[in-house]
Amino acid sequence: MNSIVKKLFSLIVTVLAISLVTFIVFSLIPGNAVLARLGVDATPEQIAAMEQQLGLNDPVLVRYFRWLGGALTGDFGQSLQYSGVSVSELLSSRLPVTLVLSGLSLALIVIFSVPIALVGVRLRDSVFDRLMTVLGQILMAVPAFFLGILMTYIFGLMLRWFRPGAYPSLTEEPVKAIRYLIFPAITIALPKIAMTVRFLKSAVKGELGMDYVRTARAHGSSEGRVLTHHVLKNAMIPVITFVALILAEILAGSIVAEQVFSVPGLGRLLITSISGRDYPVVQAIVMYITTVVVTLNFLVDVLYRAVDPRLKRGGV
Amino acid sequence: MKKRWTLSRIWEFLKLNPKIFAGLLLVGFFALMALLGQIWTPYSVTRMDSTSVSLAPGLQHLMGTDNFGRDVLSRVMNGLGITILVAAVTVMIGGLIGTVIGAITGYYGGIADAVIMRINDMLLSFPSVLMALLLISIFGPGTFNVILALGILFIPSFARMVRGEVIRFRDRDFVRNARLQGISDFRIIFVHILPNARISILTAAAIGFNNAVLAEASMSYLGLGVQPPTPSLGRMLFEAQNYLLNCPWYAVFPGVTIILVILGTALLSEGFKELS
Amino acid sequence: MSEMKEPLLRVNQLSVSFPDDDPYDGIEERDSVLSSISFELHDGEILGVVGESGSGKSMTALAVIRLLKKTARVDGGEILFDGRSLLTLSEEELCDLRGLGISMIFQEPMTSLNPVLRIGTQVAEALKLHQGKGNEALSDEQIHREVVRVLTEVGLPDPEGVCLMYPHELSGGMRQRVMIAAALITSPKLLIADEPTTALDVLTQAQILDLLLKIHEKTGVAILFISHDLHVIRRLCHRVLVMYHGEIVEEGETEKILDHPDHEYTKTLVARIPRVETNPGSDPVLSMDKVTIYYPPRNGSGSFFKKPALEAYVYNASLTLYENEILGIVGGSGSGKSTIGKVLSGLHGIYDGGIELFGQPLKEVLATNQRPQMVFQDPYSALNPARTIGWSLSETLRSHGVKSASERRRMALEMLSEVGLEKEIYERYPRELSGGQRQRVCIGQALLYDPKILIADEPVSALDVTVSSQVLELLLRLQKERNMSMIFISHDMNIVRSICHRVVVLEKGRIVEEGPCGEVFDNPSHPYTRQLIDAAMLG
Repeated sequence: MNSIVKKLFSLIVTVLAISLVTFIVFSLIPGNAVLARLGVDATPEQIAAMEQQLGLNDPVLVRYFRWLGGALTGDFGQSLQYSGVSVSELLSSRLPVTLVLSGLSLALIVIFSVPIALVGVRLRDSVFDRLMTVLGQILMAVPAFFLGILMTYIFGLMLRWFRPGAYPSLTEEPVKAIRYLIFPAITIALPKIAMTVRFLKSAVKGELGMDYVRTARAHGSSEGRVLTHHVLKNAMIPVITFVALILAEILAGSIVAEQVFSVPGLGRLLITSISGRDYPVVQAIVMYITTVVVTLNFLVDVLYRAVDPRLKRGGV
Repeated sequence: MKKRWTLSRIWEFLKLNPKIFAGLLLVGFFALMALLGQIWTPYSVTRMDSTSVSLAPGLQHLMGTDNFGRDVLSRVMNGLGITILVAAVTVMIGGLIGTVIGAITGYYGGIADAVIMRINDMLLSFPSVLMALLLISIFGPGTFNVILALGILFIPSFARMVRGEVIRFRDRDFVRNARLQGISDFRIIFVHILPNARISILTAAAIGFNNAVLAEASMSYLGLGVQPPTPSLGRMLFEAQNYLLNCPWYAVFPGVTIILVILGTALLSEGFKELS
Repeated sequence: MSEMKEPLLRVNQLSVSFPDDDPYDGIEERDSVLSSISFELHDGEILGVVGESGSGKSMTALAVIRLLKKTARVDGGEILFDGRSLLTLSEEELCDLRGLGISMIFQEPMTSLNPVLRIGTQVAEALKLHQGKGNEALSDEQIHREVVRVLTEVGLPDPEGVCLMYPHELSGGMRQRVMIAAALITSPKLLIADEPTTALDVLTQAQILDLLLKIHEKTGVAILFISHDLHVIRRLCHRVLVMYHGEIVEEGETEKILDHPDHEYTKTLVARIPRVETNPGSDPVLSMDKVTIYYPPRNGSGSFFKKPALEAYVYNASLTLYENEILGIVGGSGSGKSTIGKVLSGLHGIYDGGIELFGQPLKEVLATNQRPQMVFQDPYSALNPARTIGWSLSETLRSHGVKSASERRRMALEMLSEVGLEKEIYERYPRELSGGQRQRVCIGQALLYDPKILIADEPVSALDVTVSSQVLELLLRLQKERNMSMIFISHDMNIVRSICHRVVVLEKGRIVEEGPCGEVFDNPSHPYTRQLIDAAMLG
């Protein structure tokens, strides 16, 4: 338990360190927050007054702690490009869309990849297995946005199963919104399914070659029992890391997918904020993503300990 | 007795490694196309022609024209060059710096190694597109900045791979023996140990190239990479999206080109992996 | 044993092949690994199978329990166990047989146990799988009692506690005991043991063999015992099969085969270890005076800021090496014998006490070309896999200041012929060489600078028996021709007795005995030396 407390502590330190680094870096960028608000025609007096008002003349560390204090209470400041809207309002309106999209994608990945991988292992080197391998290889080579464009063209323009660009609001028409989100979710999921199948297959195949599998067979275990009783728990160990990686990748995939399908989620907000140099928003989204990724890594560590007895006693 | 890379031996090698063969064919073909695209294209890359707007692929325009009447083939050939250039330079930056960092930290170990690797692992747990976006938000958009951002981004993965390889070999007896003979650490690392990692480095370079092509295309698609009027495959797809109904070929050809290039490098990397 | 009784196991004209894994010829061929082998194993018998790597002895074992890889094909013959033909059994019938009628234990007890399952579960596995088939179903409690019983039988202390442990918490010897317990819990009629002691320390090896003998005496289980080690075979087996290139070349009573072999191959296999013929001089070339050797602790017990205390691996060791002398250093694993070699060669430098070579402190000698050279245990690890043999030899010469490339080439080629290798080896990569050839290259590399002292750390323990004899002969020849002194570090008492003038015995980092080989081996004064000699089965 002690080491878990240690990990938890290092989790918090990591998040704080990244927030400090990004804050300092963003405050060094020449793109001026004041000009963004007042426009290029602002007079020097107006600029000075605004700088005073925003506290931009204070040393960077002072500003950081002021920002951190706000962030801890959910106040990330004001957006620069949407005047009068606070960053937390923006985030809380966009976050649910991204969460639903990520959830849908993850569901698709899990539902399809586990059975395909297990069938692939049982039917090693069969025509089905080879076909799936080639298909997977091609799918992994398709850039997410091109896949999205193809989906738009085929399902949106040709089959008219959805109207590209006309995303219904999640709060007003939840069912229609989710039906729309299926398509970006498939876009995100397809290449990840290919990756996951490949990974699962090699993990299980690798374990099947181990000496302890031979021992299990020598004790009289059938092929099925070897897979379920002996191999599965060992194969889980690399899979845990991989799932965490996939979750982070879904997050990244949603950035592109939201752009292709014009879904107003966090990813789209990130892109517009980067283009519009809206640093308070970028900083907040970075913090959100960091927290998610770091927490995922923490959970991976905890799960490892639960699965692998070698780490429990006298572990790392 | 000395083995030379004669033509017949290369042919033997390629026959035994069909993945490398197929990968080389694909990558080689597109590399030639891209090279040609820098000195000659069937039509002007940027000039718009209102008399030939949104033409379907035909004998005149093999890949059709876009909504401004620009020849898609010419733009693909030229844009491919940018894409390959960005990817190649990126892999070189990441590969060189990453290899040096990985080799040195792996060989010496200690606290510096532990600290660098922790930071490394931290960075690696973030999806690369996300990191690239972050760096771009700091550097600002543009071709050079994309190269810089992606190059920096590839350092950790190279460093980790090379470090692993160096650690695998550093306690072998041949390295111990070299130390006993008084050979300098620099020579041991780079002349004795690193040649053993060449296949892993080659594989990682192919994978890195692959990721770089994808990342550059994504960045340009998102409007944060290569800026107009320079054509880039990702940028073209972004423009094509609005005219999908009129000229879908403007989206299909750049997209398929990207897929084939990536397939080629993926085949190469798998072929290399099978060599070791 | 009645002559009329049908044998427990009868293998008849069995042939097995694998697909040809050399893709270069492009022809679909099959590599024969077993060609028409026939033998019988009777109830309660211990039958040894001996041969070198690649002789097909492990294939024989795996074929009997039908665990060959999927790519293997049985090309003909039959296997009869207890009256049933094993080759015609369905997969399901095989599962019923494995672990109940026939059990097997393997070479690597570490990897052969499942790392994420508790010992209790793994030992119970076979019993659980086979209950209710021809015997009554057992309750969990009954199974647990059986597990504890069998763990006690294999000599594990605190069997209840062991049940709850995982494999990584046990030592190598304990793991092999667990493997044996798991194999015997169903009281099988036949136990197949594939090199079960090879991965273990000498002393542990002897204990496991004793255990197998004890169990055999008690239960009468028949054992098919695969080993490359003639001493182990002699100790354990009633009869022995000698295998060579997939064929059984000789078969018979163990004593008869090993003492009076008929077949040419068996003769080379039992060939004597070469004997040292030189006489040592009386001038000391190396002396260690009360040397204590330290290492930083392995699992850094110190914190980030505090340097951890050093741990001593060798205490107060004093020894002298004379001109033209071969000094053996022996001990079990962890005795510190290799540590001494590392310090003398300069690989490790944390120690107290005085070490002098040719009257000068070690540290000064290490900086010159007079430094002792080293031959390592594993010739696979001692040569750079990415470089040709020629490059490696030339690199050593370069580091010694030979500037001219053609001169380096000439010297390297000369050395290759001196260690009995062809010129062609110069262009080859290590992976293209056999183990013996590699070790010859390593010896040549060590001798390029004509060292007066050679340190050989288990130089033949990774090699097959016949190759090992040849390499030892080479070492003895070179020692004689070049008037070298040699420190020979080994766990193998038989070899040390034969090729060393004097021997030093180390136990847990302390020198417990020292003297001329003849005296020490005939009349050991320390109980640990006695143990080592007994374990080596010299008696």
